[in-house]
Amino acid sequence: MAIRKRIALTAASIGVLALALTACSSGAPSSNDTVTTGAPVAGAPDWCGPNEITLGLLDGFGGNSWRKVTTAAGADEVAKCPSVTGYEYADGQGDTQKSIADIQGMVAKGVNALVVFPDAGEAMLPALRSAYQAGVVTVPYRVNPGGEDGVDYDAWIGADFTTDGENWGTWIKTNFPDGAKILFLSGPKGNSQGEDELDGMNSVLGDGGEYEFIGETPFEPTNWDPAVTQQVLTSAIAKNPEIDVIVSDFGPSLVGALPEFTKSGRSIPALVASDGNVLGCFWKDNQEANPDFKMMTVATGNDNVRLAVQYAVAKATGGVLPDTTTFDAPVFEDSVSGTPNPVECEADLPGDIFLSAEMSPQDQADLLK
Amino acid sequence: MSATERRQPALTSSRWSISRGLVTVGIAVIALFVVSALFAPSSVSQGAVLGMLPFAAVLSCVGLGQMLVVQQGGIDLSIPGAVSLSIVVVSRIPNGDDSLLVPAVLLAVGLAVLAGILNGLLIGRLGLNAIIATLGTNALLFAVVLGISGGSPTTTTRLLRDVAGGLSFGIPNSVFFALAAFLLVTVLVKKTVAGRRFEAVGANPVAARATGLRVRTHQAAAYVWAQLLYCLAGILLAGITAQPTAFQGNAYLIPAVAVVVLGGTSLLGGRGFPLATVVAAVFLSQLDQFVLAAGVPFAVRSIIQAAALAVGVALYTIDWAGLRARLGSRQRVGAAA
Repeated sequence: MAIRKRIALTAASIGVLALALTACSSGAPSSNDTVTTGAPVAGAPDWCGPNEITLGLLDGFGGNSWRKVTTAAGADEVAKCPSVTGYEYADGQGDTQKSIADIQGMVAKGVNALVVFPDAGEAMLPALRSAYQAGVVTVPYRVNPGGEDGVDYDAWIGADFTTDGENWGTWIKTNFPDGAKILFLSGPKGNSQGEDELDGMNSVLGDGGEYEFIGETPFEPTNWDPAVTQQVLTSAIAKNPEIDVIVSDFGPSLVGALPEFTKSGRSIPALVASDGNVLGCFWKDNQEANPDFKMMTVATGNDNVRLAVQYAVAKATGGVLPDTTTFDAPVFEDSVSGTPNPVECEADLPGDIFLSAEMSPQDQADLLK
Repeated sequence: MSATERRQPALTSSRWSISRGLVTVGIAVIALFVVSALFAPSSVSQGAVLGMLPFAAVLSCVGLGQMLVVQQGGIDLSIPGAVSLSIVVVSRIPNGDDSLLVPAVLLAVGLAVLAGILNGLLIGRLGLNAIIATLGTNALLFAVVLGISGGSPTTTTRLLRDVAGGLSFGIPNSVFFALAAFLLVTVLVKKTVAGRRFEAVGANPVAARATGLRVRTHQAAAYVWAQLLYCLAGILLAGITAQPTAFQGNAYLIPAVAVVVLGGTSLLGGRGFPLATVVAAVFLSQLDQFVLAAGVPFAVRSIIQAAALAVGVALYTIDWAGLRARLGSRQRVGAAA
């Protein structure tokens, strides 16, 4: 018994020692002050500096098609820079503790740069801060983890959802100059994305009273769940004889719900949303039978990760930093003006790919098989 | 108190006995529709009711499955995994190709039977605790869900959308499916020898064993039938939502238990009340629609739903007569002192 205990103890202490050693060694090669900006690597983008690094891409929840495309986009961006000699990926699987452990594990392994999707928000801040303090270039993106650039991490490459709201507002104002009744659907109650989007829309539409938001304010919560969306929409259709515009920050979830209009003998109204192949195809199939069904989408933002990777790689390899730390999702489709694009549909490819992403539709389809 | 009773009070004056559960949820549904019409008229408009019925149909199927298990004194917590799995199988496997829909449905049914047999073996044969065993099966089913889908949702085929989400004679098709499931369960349980034995086993396993019934087989069979009903619910839900997530079944665990309890089936097993369960499913679905139409804030919606459940459960579980008697005697004591 005693012998066994001693063996166990020895094994444990060796393990701890090994961990401690790797943790120490990781500090050496990387540090925040590697600003030896040299000549960019030939044939590579200017954000790719000469210092060789390994990079870790960490996802809080990797389990849907949007995330898969995003992760692949991140890997694709990393591959553009030959100075990145090692690339690792970890999926937190929606588990905050695992996401934190993933960060710590990568730091211990000696990764020089981390690009993190901090799904759990502020709960991820201590782990991000400790990685940053250990000398790893730490770049959270998309979800705001709280904290400050240069104090808790290098930079937060956030998506500016206010811009989405402004783009939607501008379109509504152009196409409904005399005012409109707007139904705004977003995710779980209180999510900051929906609130930012509303701010964006309000800043364009003003408080003149021509534009009225119907339903709960700041938005009707749907949890981004197609079934809940359908129930909310059914109720809204029955309650409001006039709905001019539906705004949704998860366009594809509306595909099952929009036919409720047709069932009630009304035309599907104008829709402003985020893009998705299934939504584009739905528009193509239904626009003739529904005279009021105009559509505008903004890019869903898979390429947000590219900017984050560029920033992290530039910082760690000594390349040229991107001139912005905010990802503005561009307007993608507009069925009325056709600019920048008319509504697109790849009927032969899966519905859950995003034609707005830089990655080719076929590559995305292969990825989701 | 009455939840622990195996004897169910019923109105037996007519040839068809009407259970107390049916009377209660029946009155509740009528009252709810009256309240809806008065306070949120839009929630009883044709469009709203047509929008509500498909979800009531799905909940009915899930509820009927849970009822069969509860009748045997068990409980099935594998509903989220089971519903999600059939959704993923019928939308992922065909991947938009209508011709693959039938094989996918058959595969979903096959997997449901396997899951049911697993639950049945663990609980009926090996005598494991139903909560633990079905939770384990749920995790296993979600593993298959993730294995097939990678967690990513996909669009269902057009055919399934038309069949499950369409209308016939102005009524959502899913209602016919639920109706068929209800008739099947009712006839099998109430009108066949095997069904009567099944109910007898649930009412009193010890006595059933003494009379020579195959208690464990009946208990295990409940889980298989239940899985088949969850499978149907999942297929319907996939067609209704058209773009389901891979975790769509998660929303059905609590409501499934709720409709069984509201329908008056005792959680300790015994008689099942299919009609009352279906009516309770309509009640919960209309309640959702009512609170949405009433325009109350999201937080209040959840409270109203929870309160309705609490009241429903209280009707059966609190010994009102005893409570009245106790309160009455205390008052008398108080008056005497």
